Amino acid sequence: MSNAAARIPLLRFGTVLFAPSTAITEIGANPPSSTAVFFGAAIWLGLCPPLFAYIGTSLFGWRLGVEPMFLAPATLRAIALAYLALLLVGFLSTAFVAHWMAATYDADSSFNRSLALVTLVGTPLTVGSIVHLYPNAFLNVLVLVPTLIWSMYLLYRGLPALLKTEQGRGMLMASALIAYLLVAWVTLLGITAVLWSHGIGPQVAT
Amino acid sequence: MTTALEPKRRTIYEDRIVTAFTASSILWALLGMAAGVYAAAELVWPVLNFDLPWLTFGRLRTGHTNLVLFGFGVSALIGTSFYSVQRTSHVRLLAPRLAWFVFYAWQLTIALGAWSILAGWNGGKEYAELEWPFDIAIAVIWVSYGVVFFGTIARRTVAPIYISNWFYGALIIVIAMLHIVNNLAMPATLSKSYSLFPGAQDAIVQWWYGHNAVGFLLTGGFLGMLYYFLPKQAEQPIWSYRLSIVAFWAFVYSYIWAGPHHLHYNAVPQWLQSIGVIMSLILLAPSWATMINGVMTVSNAWRKLQTDPGLKFIVVALAFYGLATFEGPMMAIRSVNVMSHFTEWTIGHVHSGALGWNALITFGTFYYLVPKLAGRPLHSAALANAHFWLALAGVLLYILSMWGAGLSQSLLWLSLDDVGEVRYSFVEVMRAMAPYYALRLVGGALFLAGTVLMTVNFARTFAGVRTVEVTPPLPAAASHGEPTPTAVTAS
Repeated sequence: MSNAAARIPLLRFGTVLFAPSTAITEIGANPPSSTAVFFGAAIWLGLCPPLFAYIGTSLFGWRLGVEPMFLAPATLRAIALAYLALLLVGFLSTAFVAHWMAATYDADSSFNRSLALVTLVGTPLTVGSIVHLYPNAFLNVLVLVPTLIWSMYLLYRGLPALLKTEQGRGMLMASALIAYLLVAWVTLLGITAVLWSHGIGPQVAT
Repeated sequence: MTTALEPKRRTIYEDRIVTAFTASSILWALLGMAAGVYAAAELVWPVLNFDLPWLTFGRLRTGHTNLVLFGFGVSALIGTSFYSVQRTSHVRLLAPRLAWFVFYAWQLTIALGAWSILAGWNGGKEYAELEWPFDIAIAVIWVSYGVVFFGTIARRTVAPIYISNWFYGALIIVIAMLHIVNNLAMPATLSKSYSLFPGAQDAIVQWWYGHNAVGFLLTGGFLGMLYYFLPKQAEQPIWSYRLSIVAFWAFVYSYIWAGPHHLHYNAVPQWLQSIGVIMSLILLAPSWATMINGVMTVSNAWRKLQTDPGLKFIVVALAFYGLATFEGPMMAIRSVNVMSHFTEWTIGHVHSGALGWNALITFGTFYYLVPKLAGRPLHSAALANAHFWLALAGVLLYILSMWGAGLSQSLLWLSLDDVGEVRYSFVEVMRAMAPYYALRLVGGALFLAGTVLMTVNFARTFAGVRTVEVTPPLPAAASHGEPTPTAVTAS
């Protein structure tokens, strides 16, 4: 690992995933700058899901319980890019929302801390996205649901330490962030449905 | 001095009936959720119906919705409204015998109603499946409930009518109106009747009922619960009492129009569908105003989270309330509805509200209420915490699996082959859903397991004691500068 990476505990996946207390303490005590979080960790983690999905869908097609559904290469590229863009928008908007909410919950509103928190919380999901390499819908749900629960645990566990607030306030703020994320996710479903019903959707390869 | 106060001291709140409604609500929750879990298992292993008509999915699912909505939900609403209306009015419940009639008659109706549904009696209207003898019984019981509730408010000794009573009152009035109109029917036999409304008009009336049952029972009624029990638990006044009043009137005005969004792409006028969409979108404003009011109220009570296991349920219930009240208007938009309608996405949406909002707010309220009624602390905070995490994991598993299933279903249903025919048969799509149904089964079972823990916890809390007797505050005390919490914090 390079010196730069070694300075960012967020990139030590083993520590983040399996010894979160250590990672949370380290990041909370010495939070990296916004630039270091974004370019040193978040962007690389964010690249994983679209990349894995692109490779998996090219090789195996979408598997929704019937025969595999192969997509046209142009569609595949467009979906991968849209996926990356949405992850980045989701990542940054969640960090902004945490930054905005911080005053209400008497937390540290430094933007770099909010970015570090969202990166920490997103790590299990982005690492778990390796399951996209075989895009069987149910297998993906099966793997990503436990990773989502692990991410939620990191949110509740990590927020008070990273944003320097009391446990009770941290629990409230974490719940408010979950509400935001659920609404954001449902909005995404809605936008997808609107685009789809207007003819903008995946083109199946023939 | 003691002698002078004695006559007033003899007035005690009628809380035994609250205990009875709480117990019956929990009993119906266990039975209703177990029926739901069993029905979910049948979708994974159809053999579980054993070819018995009583156990077929169609009957069991209807039994499940009736037990949880009207057994668990309504019993909780009546019980908590009886508790709070006495305390916000500073008087004993009007006509306790009539209140006990409401209790016994309601429980009998739920029990016999569930039996009738499993036996195959079914009026054919969703959430209004009970046949005409039950419809008449419900109308009588509901009006009796209204007499007790509004009669108690009429006798109040404090001027303001606290906001929770406005929501409970709207629940009583609107549900009476919806129930009576939607169930107007011509009986043919004891077990069969035919609606007075023909064709598409019947559908419009049904979804005027159906959506407002969601609105005024599952939303408005439970907001009444929230507005009384959240400030009590948080020991904080409502963040903005004015906002709660504005949100109430906006909620009442806009909800009643939203029903036609259930009938998109059906044989009802397009303009009517459009009104349904517009009013559904407007509805987001009062819904979220209430959510913000709740979130800001609880944000000042973070210290209580360490000691009050029930408050966590309410915090998370507010998050799911925000989700469900956002998702609903979004799904009312035609171009979203074309994908979501008839898929499991709808089932996930309903359960994000029913489990995430209604059940969790009720559990949170019961965790406050049961120690008060028993006059002793909760048996085990650890069990309550275990219940919280089981419930949260259960509801998340449930809605995530249904989102996955719904999206897959719509993708497969909308897939056309080269000649424009549907590419996949119903059976093929159904078979592809089985893994999601298994995951939903796990989610439902976790939620049920949490409810079992809560039941054990409450049984141990209440073991060997009677309901505590509580007197209304004395007017003299209030006039000597004591806070008048009915105005802002719900006494």
